[in-house]
Amino acid sequence: MRILKLVFLTIFAGSYGLLSAAGIFTVLVAVALVPRFAGRTHTANKVLLYEEMLIFGTMLGCVFSVFGEKCYSLTTQLHLMLSEYDGVWRLSGDIFQILFGFFSGMFVGCLALAIAEMLDSIPIFARRISFRHGIGVVVLSMAAGKFCGSIAYFFTKLYELE
Amino acid sequence: MSEITVYLKCERNVETDREDVYIRDIGSLRCKDNKTVEQLRAVKLHHFEPGGAGRCVISVLKIIELMEKKCPDIRVEVVGEKDILIERVNVSERKGIKQVLKIIMVSLVSFFGTAFTIMAYHVDVGINSVFTEVYRIVMNEEPGEMNLLALSYSAGVAVGIITFFNHVGGRRITKDPTPIEVAMRKYEQDVDVTLIETADRENLEEDTAEK
Repeated sequence: MRILKLVFLTIFAGSYGLLSAAGIFTVLVAVALVPRFAGRTHTANKVLLYEEMLIFGTMLGCVFSVFGEKCYSLTTQLHLMLSEYDGVWRLSGDIFQILFGFFSGMFVGCLALAIAEMLDSIPIFARRISFRHGIGVVVLSMAAGKFCGSIAYFFTKLYELE
Repeated sequence: MSEITVYLKCERNVETDREDVYIRDIGSLRCKDNKTVEQLRAVKLHHFEPGGAGRCVISVLKIIELMEKKCPDIRVEVVGEKDILIERVNVSERKGIKQVLKIIMVSLVSFFGTAFTIMAYHVDVGINSVFTEVYRIVMNEEPGEMNLLALSYSAGVAVGIITFFNHVGGRRITKDPTPIEVAMRKYEQDVDVTLIETADRENLEEDTAEK
């Protein structure tokens, strides 16, 4: 009986994983973020590499969030083993934080603009009010607004409100 | 001498690294007379000024006009695009350290961005509480740290994205293009159409004089 239950759990979670992966990536492909990056940088021939990066990034995020506790106890052990090199440990940790924060921030910034404002509402709005010049200023203001909002969110601890 | 029919098939987007653009660069010609084809292929269409605009849009009518000027006894049949976008690219910009840096940059954004996205999604749906609940219902006990549910979920995610993107480690599973490749072509087409229509709207398109 126990083995049947375990089989059920495996199928249940496996199919959930399959579908949620497909769901998330359908959104990402529909927004066409990576083609934009590749188009801007004239590196359309490296699209396969970028896709690999999407795959490995998802796996990393999946392990981090599903096995969060396990990852934490693993790194604690690793830290104890390397306790002589505390400076190096902290430095590499900081570098990882900067990499993760900066690049995931860029991704989220692009995604936010690609989904909501840029693609639909801004062109329509600009047409309604016969707005011809100064799209550059609008984009700059949006970037500044996002930056200020993000800083305000973290510094005033808005996330504690829930 | 009777008229010779020449079939002209142009591409929509042409990239060149030279200053002068000829008909042979922007598409293919088909005609029964090889000598005419050779003559027509060498017709010069556009000259990029050094330091000037690196992009131009040429109407196929302009090309026909130039072709007829070269060989008056032809009848041109257009089977390809009607507006051709020619872009001049610098060869030096295609390689080198700057290009490598750009590739690394996009790779990092893709990697950490998706890691962030899936983690945010997991927090959003409260995946750990769902798993704990399901485990309790089915097994009548508290889940351990590395339970089967979480493991098979992660395996499912991995299989899902690899099937979705159709390749892993540079090896394709089937011969189909990947979703990003498809989206890439679509995006390029959209950009080309936008550039052509913008040029048309601003009267920058190189067209025949009598319009």
